[in-house]
Amino acid sequence: MAISFSRPQPFAPRWPHPRHWLPAFVAGAVLLALFCFNAVGAQSGADVANLERNVKAAFLVKFLGYVDFPENAAPTAGEPLVIGVLGDDAVAEELSRITAGRGMNGRQVAVRKLRQGEAPGKLHLLFIGDDDAAGIERALASVRQQPVLTVTETGRNLRLDSVINFRVIDERVRFEVSLEAAEKSNLKLSSRLLAVAYKVQRAGH
Amino acid sequence: MRPHNKSVLIAAACAALAASSALAAPAASELTDLSLEQLSNVVVTSVSRQEEKLAHAAASIYIISASDIRRSGAQSIPEALRLAPNLQVARVDARNYAITARGFNSPFENKLLVLIDGRSVYSPLFSGVFWDAQDLVLDDIERIEVISGPGSTIWGANAVNGVINVITKSAKDVPGGRAALIAGADERAGTMRYGAALGAHANYRLYAKYRQNDDTENAAGASTHTGYQRRQAGFRADWDLEGGGATLSGDAYQGSLHQAGTRDIGIAGANLNASLTGHGGEASDYRLQVLFDHTERNQPTAFVEYLDTIDVQAQYNLQAGRHRMSAGAGYRGAQDRIENGAGFAFLPDHLQLHTGNLFAQDEIALTDALRFTAGLKVEHNNYTGAELLPNLRLGWSPAEAALLWTSLSRTVRAPSRIDHDFYSPAVAPIVNGVPRYTIAGGPDFISETANVLELGYRAQPSAQFSYSATAFYADYDRLRTLEPLAGGGVAFRNFGEGRVRGIELWGRWHPSATLHLSAGLVQQSIRTGLSEGSRDSSGTTGLTTNDPGRHWLLRASKDLSDTSQLDVSLRYAGSLPKPAVPAYYEMDARWSWALRPDTELSLIGQNLLHRSHVEFGAAPARSVFERSVLLKLTQRF
Repeated sequence: MAISFSRPQPFAPRWPHPRHWLPAFVAGAVLLALFCFNAVGAQSGADVANLERNVKAAFLVKFLGYVDFPENAAPTAGEPLVIGVLGDDAVAEELSRITAGRGMNGRQVAVRKLRQGEAPGKLHLLFIGDDDAAGIERALASVRQQPVLTVTETGRNLRLDSVINFRVIDERVRFEVSLEAAEKSNLKLSSRLLAVAYKVQRAGH
Repeated sequence: MRPHNKSVLIAAACAALAASSALAAPAASELTDLSLEQLSNVVVTSVSRQEEKLAHAAASIYIISASDIRRSGAQSIPEALRLAPNLQVARVDARNYAITARGFNSPFENKLLVLIDGRSVYSPLFSGVFWDAQDLVLDDIERIEVISGPGSTIWGANAVNGVINVITKSAKDVPGGRAALIAGADERAGTMRYGAALGAHANYRLYAKYRQNDDTENAAGASTHTGYQRRQAGFRADWDLEGGGATLSGDAYQGSLHQAGTRDIGIAGANLNASLTGHGGEASDYRLQVLFDHTERNQPTAFVEYLDTIDVQAQYNLQAGRHRMSAGAGYRGAQDRIENGAGFAFLPDHLQLHTGNLFAQDEIALTDALRFTAGLKVEHNNYTGAELLPNLRLGWSPAEAALLWTSLSRTVRAPSRIDHDFYSPAVAPIVNGVPRYTIAGGPDFISETANVLELGYRAQPSAQFSYSATAFYADYDRLRTLEPLAGGGVAFRNFGEGRVRGIELWGRWHPSATLHLSAGLVQQSIRTGLSEGSRDSSGTTGLTTNDPGRHWLLRASKDLSDTSQLDVSLRYAGSLPKPAVPAYYEMDARWSWALRPDTELSLIGQNLLHRSHVEFGAAPARSVFERSVLLKLTQRF
């Protein structure tokens, strides 16, 4: 079938007269130069770009200091506190970086990257990266009834039995706490942690 | 543009930047030294995470985040859509926009599906979106997903050139109150929102918004009579359920839109939207949605439309070994009633539209790095019966954060009322017992079709840098034309054809925690033509396409200090052929300052480079858009 194209458009660019684009170009170039110049000053050696992830990693390490594990689960002298990270290698790497050479309450912190379906082994904290509801449920089930502080980051409305869930509220990383889940996991959370949480779900509700 | 204005602008930008030696966001090494409270107050921009989630999506998806919207200074949904490099956004006048992806742009654009929390706002009357009736409190939008290219296998017919998903924040994420006032020379708006907990597992929010825009003017300074006033209020409630969640939301609006030579167009509408998500066991999840929607549009001397819609959708996903299967079904029932004017009529003036669909899709992990997806949707409509909407996709991840993908789709635009039932004049003279219409509907109009091939590459080589490139080729057939009838008059038929090819490129770079740069470019060729024997006259009706060969966008966002931010964007749109519109460059800028933790003042400059420019339409009647400055005050409580 013959096609008569009524108004072909050349693929090759046709630049308009500089009078049209010069002001834009100058303004853009000056601003970009200023921005980039400024950026060099602000840059530090570390990977500072992904602030949300780094804030979450910092929270995870801090959480270990505000939880009491039952005696049989608390690490013995010389044993590290173990953080397992499922489905978010970047958080695991950031955790390894910030815990290297510094511990929490005088203990070493070890970080383990986990794969979906892998048996988690002995953990103190399990961070589960955002996934679909079934994936998160599967990960939570793998440590159910064990004294593990479970932390999720789902932004959807899910009633999970994780102890802590991160949410981004007003461009800030906040967390909600489930005391019911903490009780089931036989963990005691400090009142200071609860005071900072933006929402605390009490047991029995 | 007068030179001294430009100098003032640049000087102001320099001054603002020079003052930015104040505190920057903390570096990662310092984060561990912060207390829990201090960590809770670090402002994060959650863009990269969404990019990471996209790492395995074999489609051309761009996500506009909440902070992108806030920092752009956009005050309406169409203006926020300018942030997506894969969309063409052309403002027509004070309240109308021409928005599309991959060409075919016009104020009557009909190949883009737009959903707000799963509720379609695509009008079955005129096969497009009445942008002047869509509004939200922009601060309550969590993100806007913009998919260019066909999305029919998931979203159904009419998602031919793209899908826009506007997703609002959960009530859980917006606790407390927020009031905002926006004022500029040509627009004024006020919004109020309050959110709180409702028991242990539920949250709600309420909002109200008022917005008023003045008429725009044409180049000669005459009013186009397209300004408006609009009032809207609504709510959203979210429940956390055992292993799932439920949401109930609703909105109601009313507006008066100016129209030349008549009293105002009256618009009104209300909707109620309920959804339930959850998982059954550890390998499956589901989603159910039921919604009701009522809209009214009283366009004096033209028509009055009343439309009631019920929409029910269900989807089930199952992970089984290497397969991830999805299946779903949906039904949409729409009932309209039209009070026709004298000039033209939708006949019959009362119609029930039933659309049902079934779909299934399987994503198979052939190897750890290679995924193959095959999907099919069957959608049944009043006019053409069952339409098949198949899709094949292949994605290969050569590295953790890289994906090379390709996709082959067939998609259709099903007929709408305007294609099938549009008659002019409303009452035709009878000749030999037969009514003689000038435009005699489109009783033989069938679906427009497109076969689309896409090839894309997306990568995030470092946490700071990500990019995406997509090449597309689409073959359109049976496009709408207006053909003469043997006995006189014209009718809608399908004798148009088209070939579209192009590339979409975009990237984001975060050289530091306080600086974000992004850029996007589309280069495209949209060629439409007529099948042999066609004597199309739609070229004179404004129904034809008008697209630039190239458009691009550059944006820079800088945190000057803990309390102040600067954002600049520069955009270019190539010239449009018919009606001819010259290419233009424009710049928007926003500077914000937190006076107190709960109070923010922002100064928004729009179209700063020229005194005025045009974006769409024929001279001399078309609107010109002037340089403008807005002031916004936001108070949280």
